[in-house]
Amino acid sequence: MDKMLTVLRREYVSRVKTKGFVIGTILLPAFMLAMFVLPSLFMFLKSDKPKQIAVVDQTGEVFEALLAELNEKNEGGQRLYNFAKPKALSEDLDAAKKTLSDGVDKGEWDGYIIVPASVYEQGFAEYYAKSVSNFRENEAIESAISRTVTEKRIQRSGLDAEKVRQLVRRVDLQTFRVGPGGKEEKDQGFTFAIAYFLGFFIYMSMFIYGAIVMRSVIEEKTSRVIESVISSIKPFQLMAGKIFGVGAVGLTQFLIWTLVMGLLSLYGLQVAAMFAPKMAGAQNVALPSVSLGLLIYFVIFFVLGYFIYATIYAGIGAMVNSEQEAQQMLIPVSLFIVVPILMMTYIIGNPSSQTSVVCSLVPFFAPIIMLARIAVETPPFWQIAVCLALMVATILGLIWVVGRIYRVGVLMYGKRPTLPEIFKWIRYA
Amino acid sequence: MPILELQNVSKSFGQLEAVQDLSLTAPAGMIYGFLGPNGAGKTTTIRMIMEIILPDRGRILINGHLNTSRDVLDRVGYLPEERGVYRKMKVREALEFFAQLKGLKKSEHRAKIETWIERFGMADVQTKKMEELSKGNQQKIQFLTAVLHEPDLIILDEPFMGLDPLNADLIKQVILEQKQRGAAIVFSTHLMESAERLCDAICLINKGRKVLDGEVKKVKRDFGRNNVILAYDGKSDFLKNNGMVERHDDYGNYVEVHLRDGASPQALLAAAMQQAEISRFEIVEPSLHEIFLATVKEN
Repeated sequence: MDKMLTVLRREYVSRVKTKGFVIGTILLPAFMLAMFVLPSLFMFLKSDKPKQIAVVDQTGEVFEALLAELNEKNEGGQRLYNFAKPKALSEDLDAAKKTLSDGVDKGEWDGYIIVPASVYEQGFAEYYAKSVSNFRENEAIESAISRTVTEKRIQRSGLDAEKVRQLVRRVDLQTFRVGPGGKEEKDQGFTFAIAYFLGFFIYMSMFIYGAIVMRSVIEEKTSRVIESVISSIKPFQLMAGKIFGVGAVGLTQFLIWTLVMGLLSLYGLQVAAMFAPKMAGAQNVALPSVSLGLLIYFVIFFVLGYFIYATIYAGIGAMVNSEQEAQQMLIPVSLFIVVPILMMTYIIGNPSSQTSVVCSLVPFFAPIIMLARIAVETPPFWQIAVCLALMVATILGLIWVVGRIYRVGVLMYGKRPTLPEIFKWIRYA
Repeated sequence: MPILELQNVSKSFGQLEAVQDLSLTAPAGMIYGFLGPNGAGKTTTIRMIMEIILPDRGRILINGHLNTSRDVLDRVGYLPEERGVYRKMKVREALEFFAQLKGLKKSEHRAKIETWIERFGMADVQTKKMEELSKGNQQKIQFLTAVLHEPDLIILDEPFMGLDPLNADLIKQVILEQKQRGAAIVFSTHLMESAERLCDAICLINKGRKVLDGEVKKVKRDFGRNNVILAYDGKSDFLKNNGMVERHDDYGNYVEVHLRDGASPQALLAAAMQQAEISRFEIVEPSLHEIFLATVKEN
């Protein structure tokens, strides 16, 4: 026990003291934040340059309304969309299109819109531009035309526009999550985000910490220091000390992150408001919060998942002579970690389907899938209990098998063992 | 009670019988040479003593206890043939780590490490990483991890391999001190010169079997032949066809002559004087080298 602690301490101290630990502790959350926030951030970045757009209004009555409707401005207070009626245009539509397309090509216009006379009946308008892949822009133009045309339709039918607007007002669906004990809480779409985030966090952790354990095993092998070590401590204790040591590093990192996140959710908005007065209005935005129960489940699944994968990684490390050699053997292991992430969207959408339940009980998938299910729905307790029991049993089985592989493997240099050889190690070690 | 005792130990790897029915005992306060050609089974035996690999048959006792407990092995120091260090660890941290692995508390190993670092002239490199050290210094540190905890049994696999004469001498000094302290030292080598100078007893194994065993004096006596060392200037015909010489090894500066049973060294001297100028004539015991060669060839 003392010796295992000695190894644990060495693994822990030698990692926590490195620059790599500090960098990793800062970089991982930054990376994950970037993965989640940046795509949506970029999506909503407005292009600053005002666009010159020609409008061919064959109805002769929507142009002004459209101008009033699409009045978004950029930072400098300029209109984003400058609409104009092109002069000296042929009456023939095809000829007009040709002229305008030439204009777009030469850069006279950024694009042009054709509102045909038939728009009231057919409901089609056309937008031409060099690039029509900006969904946000397309959507803005579409809804502006749509609103304008609808308004005109109502006017033409002689109905009271104000009245109609009231009548056709859309209904917002507000979602409430019924938690354990029948408690209801308003959901603002965070449940999905949290479930996905936690799953992704576990996914990355398994890869990162598993690889650290494996590298540590390989390092002792390749440096040949293993023989000195193994003569003083049982291989099994060495392996356990290593896994616990790296696990402790992971928990330390996790603790730091949790503290930072906790502080952020308490004071983050005030601090942000101090630096950017504009954001003061964001005070009433609710930050996603994780309930204590979910946090506890997270730690449990994180730890159990870590033991499953760290043990497997340790076994692989013991079988190979270099990291390059390990890559092939890692492919099936990586699949076990990647598959649940690919299933996440389905699982979160259908947390109680048969597929979800079955997959969440598979010990290799459980850290991600069962946790996601708990985050969105809280499955029956017996399922969680069965899942945890299966995971613990898997860990014990893995430790038994890998402990034997480890004992023989760490002293084998040179040729990589074949599968039958590995079975022999397990049987005779 | 001997400190180390092997009882009928055997180990095979597949078809290869690495060690067969090996028994030996190493008492306290003695240096026990474990000799044999490459591939004789020396390292396999040592690894079995350290319980790194398990014997197929037989028992290994240390201080009278089976070696299956790490508490028993805490009283053993081991320098493996495959040298290796934690490259990223600082010298001092590495020494502390191994001392703790051997069950020493901080209060116990602190002063010891201090003294050894001083003596090995490594005070200025103790905060450096192991990978920054020269190969020789790395080896010295690894040797230290084998003696630091003052074990009852010290097992050294080729301890002088790759050391310069200065460092080899330092290591030799420490080995002799450990013997004085009362430790049993088992050291494996295929270099007969160092075995000759250091060992009180030897065990010679070949192809996994023990072929010779006992105190060096007794081994030599049992080998039962007188050898003559002869340095001369002139013809060497007297070495041939005279019925006295069984064979001779020419070392350049001198020849070691192995006489037939019953042949008299004086008669050889007389014959030699007729043909050559003799500058050295010495009757010696057979060297371990000779015993080694003769015994291994016999097998």
